[in-house]
Amino acid sequence: MRGNDVTLDNVSITYPNGFRAVHPTDLTVQAGEFFSILGPSGCGKTTILRAVSGFIEPSGGRVLIGGQDMVGIGPNARPTALIFQNLALFPLMKIWENVAFGLEARGLSRRARRARAEKLLDLVALGDQADKTPSELSGGQRQRVAIARALAVEPAVLLLDEPLSALDLKLRQHMRAELRAIQRQTGVTFIYITHDQGEALTMSDRIAVMNEGRIEQVGTGDEVYSAPATAFAASFVGEANRIDGRVVAVNGDLAEIDTALGRFRARNPIDLGAGDAAMLFVRPEAMRLGHTENGLSARLMRRDLEGAFLNLFFDAQGIELAVHVTNDGQVAIPADGAAEIGFPSGRAVILPAGPLARTGQEMVA
Amino acid sequence: MTSQRLLTAYTWAFLIFMFAPLLLMVLSSVNDTSPPSVTQWEGLTGKWYAYFWMPEAEMRADPVLRALDRDRFVGCFGNSLYIAAFVVPLSLILGLAGAVLLTRWRSRANGLLWWVLLSPMLAPGIVLGLSALVFWGRLGVNAGLFTIIMAQTTFVAGYPMLILMARLQRQPIELEEAALDLGATPFRVFRRLTLPYLFPALVSAGVIAFMASMENYNTTMFAKGGACTFATEIGAMARNPNGHPPVINAVGTVIIALTVLAATVHTVLARREAKL
Repeated sequence: MRGNDVTLDNVSITYPNGFRAVHPTDLTVQAGEFFSILGPSGCGKTTILRAVSGFIEPSGGRVLIGGQDMVGIGPNARPTALIFQNLALFPLMKIWENVAFGLEARGLSRRARRARAEKLLDLVALGDQADKTPSELSGGQRQRVAIARALAVEPAVLLLDEPLSALDLKLRQHMRAELRAIQRQTGVTFIYITHDQGEALTMSDRIAVMNEGRIEQVGTGDEVYSAPATAFAASFVGEANRIDGRVVAVNGDLAEIDTALGRFRARNPIDLGAGDAAMLFVRPEAMRLGHTENGLSARLMRRDLEGAFLNLFFDAQGIELAVHVTNDGQVAIPADGAAEIGFPSGRAVILPAGPLARTGQEMVA
Repeated sequence: MTSQRLLTAYTWAFLIFMFAPLLLMVLSSVNDTSPPSVTQWEGLTGKWYAYFWMPEAEMRADPVLRALDRDRFVGCFGNSLYIAAFVVPLSLILGLAGAVLLTRWRSRANGLLWWVLLSPMLAPGIVLGLSALVFWGRLGVNAGLFTIIMAQTTFVAGYPMLILMARLQRQPIELEEAALDLGATPFRVFRRLTLPYLFPALVSAGVIAFMASMENYNTTMFAKGGACTFATEIGAMARNPNGHPPVINAVGTVIIALTVLAATVHTVLARREAKL
C-alpha cells in the first residue's frame, strides 16, 4: 500500500437548499501524511470528506487524488476508503465477510478473500474473531474491524469521520496510538475528521482548523497550538485567555495593544497596524505569577489542585484569566486573593478581532 | 374512576362486537343443521369440514350438501391460488421498486409519488375492478383470470411497498454508502446488502399480499368476467335464498385459524429480526 496526495483546488460546496457548507478552499494533503481536519460540529469538515470520497460533487473547483481529477468518478471507483462515524459494519455478515466485502467486487475467490481478511484481521489483532458477527464484538473491536475492512481495498487515501467518538475515553486514547501505528505501518494517507483537539494534536502530522465552511489555519500541532493564526483557532484549540483591545503601536515582530486592563506587548504574526481592533491571546501555562513583564492586578477566584499542577482562576475587572503553574510548593497568594500576574511578550499573540469558538463547543460529541 | 370504568366498558363492547360473530360462526360450523344456527343445537358434526373430501355417495345422501357444486367450488379455489401465484410476486416486485424509489431517491416529487403509488389502496375496489375491465376490454382482452390478476396487483402492491418502506427507512444509509465506497456496484449493494436485510420484511409482505389476494371480493367481482375465485364463489353461495350452507362457516373457521397462524409466524419473525 502506498499513499497518494489529495488536493482541493478552489473547492466550494453548496447544498441544494442554498446553504454554503464549504467556501472556496485550497488544500493539499501530502502523500503518506496523517492529516486532521479539526472543527466544531457543522463547520463543513464532514462535507469536505464526502467530497473527497465521492459522495458529494463539489459545486465549484476540483478534487485531485494523486494528481488525477476526480470529477465524475463515483465513490466506488475512487482510490479512497471511508470509515464512517457509526462504522457502518454490515450486521448480517460475519467479521471476515465484512473485511472481505471490498474484495468481492474485484472478483477474488472465496478462499482468496478469506485468506486476505485473516491477514488484515491479524494486523488489527482480531485474528480469532473472524467468524463472529459485528454485534458480538465490543466497541473497540468493531472499530478495528472497520479499519481492517477499509484497508482491505488497499486505498491510497483513508478517510476517517470521527471514528472514535462512540468509544469511552480510555479506549479512545488507546485507539489513537493504534491508528497512528497503523498509519505509519501502511504508509496510507489518512485524512482524519474530528472535533476533538486532543485527537488532532496527538495523532496528526498536520492539522487544518476549520470554522463555518472555511479553513482558518493549516499547520503542525505545534504551530496551531503555539502560533494560532486566527481568533477562532486560538480559542478552539486548547485553552486561551483573551483580552480585547486595539493595536496602538507596531514594533518589529511585536505590537502594543491597549486594553481595559492596560497596555500589553505581544507577538504580531498577522502584521496588524495601529488602530486595528484586535484580541490578545495567552495560554494559561504561559501566564506567570508575580511582578513580570505585561503585568496586571487580579484577584484569585478559584484554585483547582490537579496534583502536579495548579489551575488558578483570576478575575481582573470582570475578565477571567486562567493561570496554570507547576505545583512547586512556592505558590503563595495573600488571603484576600489580590495578586500581580503577567506573561512574557513572546508567549502571547495579538490577532485580528473575529469570531470565537463557543465555550464548551469542543466538548460537544 | 368513572372514565376508567367507561374505558373498560368500551373495550369490552369493542371486543364483543368484533369477536362474537366469529365465535357464532365457529360454533355453527360444528352444528349439524342448515342454514347455520347456534340457537338450535342439532349435535356436533364435522361434515361441513369433511365436505371437501367426502366420498361422492355420502355427499349425495345429504340433503344440504347434495345441492352444492363441489367441483366448481374446488375449481374456484384453484383459480384463487393461481391468481395469487402471480399477484404475490408481481406486487412484491412492484412494491419493492416503489419502496426503494420513495426511500432512496430524494426528490421534491417524492410527496406526489407517495400519493400516486398509494392511491390504488385508497381507491374504492369497484373502481379498480371496473377500470381494469374497461382498460383491458379496450385492448381486446376478455375479462377473466388475467384481468383479475392485473386489477388485484394494482392495489395489493401497496401493502408490500408500505412494509418494505418501513424497513428500508430503518436501515442506516451509511451501510449502503460503505458498500459503495468499498467498490461495490449499486447492483451488488442491492443484492448483498439491501435484499438480505429486507428478507424478513419480504416474507411478511408476501404473506399479507397472499391474504389480500385470496380474500379480495369487490375488485375481483368486477374484473372476473365469467371466471370465479374462492371469495366470489363464497359470496355466490352466501346469497342462497334458503340461507347459506354451513360449509361456508367451516371455510371461515379454517381461514381464521390460518390467519392466527400467519400472525404468529409474523410475530416470531419480527422478534427474531428485532434481535439482530
